[in-house]
Amino acid sequence: MPDADVLDVRDLCAWYGDSQSLHGASFNVRQGEVVTLLGRNGAGKTTTLRAIMGIVERRSGSVCYDGRECIALSSDRIARAGIAYCPEERGIYASLDVEENLLLPPVVAPGGMTISEIYELFPNLQERRRSQGSKLSGGEQQMLAIARILRTGAKLLLLDEPTEGLAPIIVELIGRVIQNLKARGLTILLVEQNARFAATVADRHYIIENGRVADMIAAQEFDERSEKLSAYLGV
Amino acid sequence: MSAILDLLPPLPALFGQILIGLINGSFYAMLSLGLAVIFGLLNIVNFAHGAQYMLGGLCAYILLKYFGVGYWPALLIAPVVVGAFGVLLERLFLRPLYRLDHLYGMLLTFGVALVMEGLVRNQYGSTGNPYPEPPSLAGAWNLGFMYLPVYRAWVIIASLGVCLATWYVIERTRLGAYLRAATENPKLTRAFGINVPRMVMLTYGGGVALAALAGVMAAPIYQVTAQMGSEIIIVVFAVVVIGGMGSIIGAIVSGFVLGLVEGLTKVFYPEASTTVVFIIMAIVLLVRPAGLFGAATRTTAAGESHATAASGLRLSPPTVRNVTIALIATGVLAPWVVYPVFLMKVLCFALFACAFNLLLGYVGLLSFGHAAFYGGASYITAHAVKMWGFDPLLGILAGVLAAGILGLVFGWLAIRRQGIYFAMITLALAQMVYFSAVQAEFTHNDEGIQAVPRGHLLGLVDLGNALNMYYFVFAVFLLGFWLIHRIIDSPFGGVLKAVRENEPRAISLGYDTDHYKLVAFVLSALLSGMAGALDALVFQLASLTNVHWTMSGHAILMTILGGVGTLAGPIVGALIVAGMENYLATLGAWVTVIDGAIFIVCVMMFRRGIVGEAAVLLRKVRLKRKTEPVLAPSTKGATS
Ligand SMILES: Nc1ncnc2c1ncn2[C@@H]1O[C@H](COP(=O)(O)OP(=O)(O)OP(=O)(O)O)[C@@H](O)[C@H]1O
Ligand SMILES: [Mg+2]
Repeated sequence: MPDADVLDVRDLCAWYGDSQSLHGASFNVRQGEVVTLLGRNGAGKTTTLRAIMGIVERRSGSVCYDGRECIALSSDRIARAGIAYCPEERGIYASLDVEENLLLPPVVAPGGMTISEIYELFPNLQERRRSQGSKLSGGEQQMLAIARILRTGAKLLLLDEPTEGLAPIIVELIGRVIQNLKARGLTILLVEQNARFAATVADRHYIIENGRVADMIAAQEFDERSEKLSAYLGV
Repeated sequence: MSAILDLLPPLPALFGQILIGLINGSFYAMLSLGLAVIFGLLNIVNFAHGAQYMLGGLCAYILLKYFGVGYWPALLIAPVVVGAFGVLLERLFLRPLYRLDHLYGMLLTFGVALVMEGLVRNQYGSTGNPYPEPPSLAGAWNLGFMYLPVYRAWVIIASLGVCLATWYVIERTRLGAYLRAATENPKLTRAFGINVPRMVMLTYGGGVALAALAGVMAAPIYQVTAQMGSEIIIVVFAVVVIGGMGSIIGAIVSGFVLGLVEGLTKVFYPEASTTVVFIIMAIVLLVRPAGLFGAATRTTAAGESHATAASGLRLSPPTVRNVTIALIATGVLAPWVVYPVFLMKVLCFALFACAFNLLLGYVGLLSFGHAAFYGGASYITAHAVKMWGFDPLLGILAGVLAAGILGLVFGWLAIRRQGIYFAMITLALAQMVYFSAVQAEFTHNDEGIQAVPRGHLLGLVDLGNALNMYYFVFAVFLLGFWLIHRIIDSPFGGVLKAVRENEPRAISLGYDTDHYKLVAFVLSALLSGMAGALDALVFQLASLTNVHWTMSGHAILMTILGGVGTLAGPIVGALIVAGMENYLATLGAWVTVIDGAIFIVCVMMFRRGIVGEAAVLLRKVRLKRKTEPVLAPSTKGATS
């Protein structure tokens, strides 16, 4: 069933302390799709992913994963349900070495990559497997942050700006990794600043504005609506 | 050559002390290791660690005495039992406190420690309960230059083994990786599917079990007493400050080394053997404030140490005036109704608590060492009046000055660190003063300075008369109270509050916040000294009780019970605490239990204290009365 919703988000609201950052975002992601969230800085893209993962202080609305309501679950249960998260700040543990970082997220379902497959994909990481997390370059940290969640067997990946601050050649590598994951049947929700990169990998794009979904652009409309998109993104 | 050898103590004595040092070091290491692990993950200083160590020993004692279960099974059963108790404690009491300031965790566990120590003292008395060495480890080996008791060798080797095993688990295994990850970034670790809250609970249980294990191992060496925990925990705090809290290896190494240093000090300069660890702590603070193995960054997170203050409580000038008038009226009339000596005790305590509140309520610094100022001043005043024939005013002045000097030294050392470190450092420094008082000649050890003459005020008023003395104490109290009020209201006080609310911002506004904190600390010490000096004259006695850490605990208790950061709170707290000491004295150790229970209740659900809660209630009532007619149809006002 290729068209089933893997993720269905309705009226998602989220708060940091007293200030509300998400004001009822609604969208869906279908099985095997790559969907991006685009938007200006501070629009609420990261908060959307954090709210799905359950790591904001307070949230409301509905997050259905695989037909199961997750809004009341704690973040560890959400992860165990099969959603994996690669945060914007990368979140590499300084007190763990590369391999410990890689092995940290528990396997939640069969079908994840093996450690040797991951090293094949990211040879740099194998070279540095005994290095402390704090000693990695920004690019290496980003690779590790993505690599880390490939082992778990999660079927839905939330990637927050995986290409931020990376050299073009690494961006290209990450593009290939995403294609590869898609080919494996994984579903990906991707936050991107780089619309051009997003266009190369995604099936659909949601525009986030002021904590809501402002618009949806399918891949085939991307070129004809690029002006509108530029207006949204303010570029 | 032989001249040098003559200078050395006889070899058996030297090795004997090295052995004792290593034994003590074994326990320091195991305890500071547990503290470090718990601190890493839970971010609280487990004040109950000493009491849990004591419970371990007690558990072994009970197992043997009532169930005939020997040492080896106890080595397993006691940690499991006490660890399970720790798990319960975490789940029920500590978990709700994580979103608050770390100091609350420390206060809560302090209360728990008091309750446990009090209960045990009640049941088993404060004399030691001997616990035999296990027969399989009886006897001693003759090493030629000394006899090495087998059991002691076992303790050193076993604790070294336990420490290294703990280190291995944390640094080299999968479980340890989870632990380190959760320590570093608990939210993200949880979002990877790891049940961090359960891990936190089990880690606390594990740390506690480690303390209990140390307690079982200690039982045959030190005997089992109610206070064995509080005696060792303060030294362990100093060890932890020296080693640096974040580091596992640091905890182990500094534990053993400091035990050894203590042992060697006993050989070469026995007078300093009880204080040497605290002196080393002071030196380390000067040279490397983060500790020898510590990483400075994570521990000194600014803006963490202020939530204790009752923010949002603004007293209007009429309230201040009313409080003052009520205070004076009550104070003037009270001796006609209540026994003056009791009232004077209340006043001494109240002044002490007000001085303490100046620091905690208005600067956000939690000192665990104020007994040093109170007790120190009472010794100096007593000595000056009795031995040097000082006039009472001059005697008080001497005590106050002494407290101020102590405050300057304490403050100068302690403000290098914040929050829980500040608390541990002040506690350790005060313990140093306590041990000095135990050893000094002029304090007369357990007897104290007795029969201190009250003398004549300005050569005119006979303070031997209870009423005269009372009104004198009351006048001094009012002076202190007024001074504190003036300090808080001054521009200087304004800066202090800014420091409490947001230190980084105060720094960015160009204030030298350390300087302000130091001045506030010294002022608080001076005023505490004033209270202690009065105490010596009132009771005509200066004793160890006043410099003991329980007196520091009293200051905290009175302040948080009455209401941190409120004007009248400390007075109310003092009234209750002094009343309990006076009228419940026959209950013995139950008083300690009640003190501890009050700590727990205050921290769990009563964080504004009596006066603070009353003020909030009053404001709510007033607000409701004012707004009800206007907002009658809407419920918004009531819920917000
Ligand atoms: N920890 C936080 N505390 C308070 N407010 C926050 C916090 N994190 C984000 N916000 C606010 O929430 C809003 C949405 O932030 P979010 O990080 O989701 O934006 P974003 O779309 O990911 O931006 P960017 O492209 O810069 O990453 C912003 O207005 C931001 O100021
Ligand atoms: Mg973002």
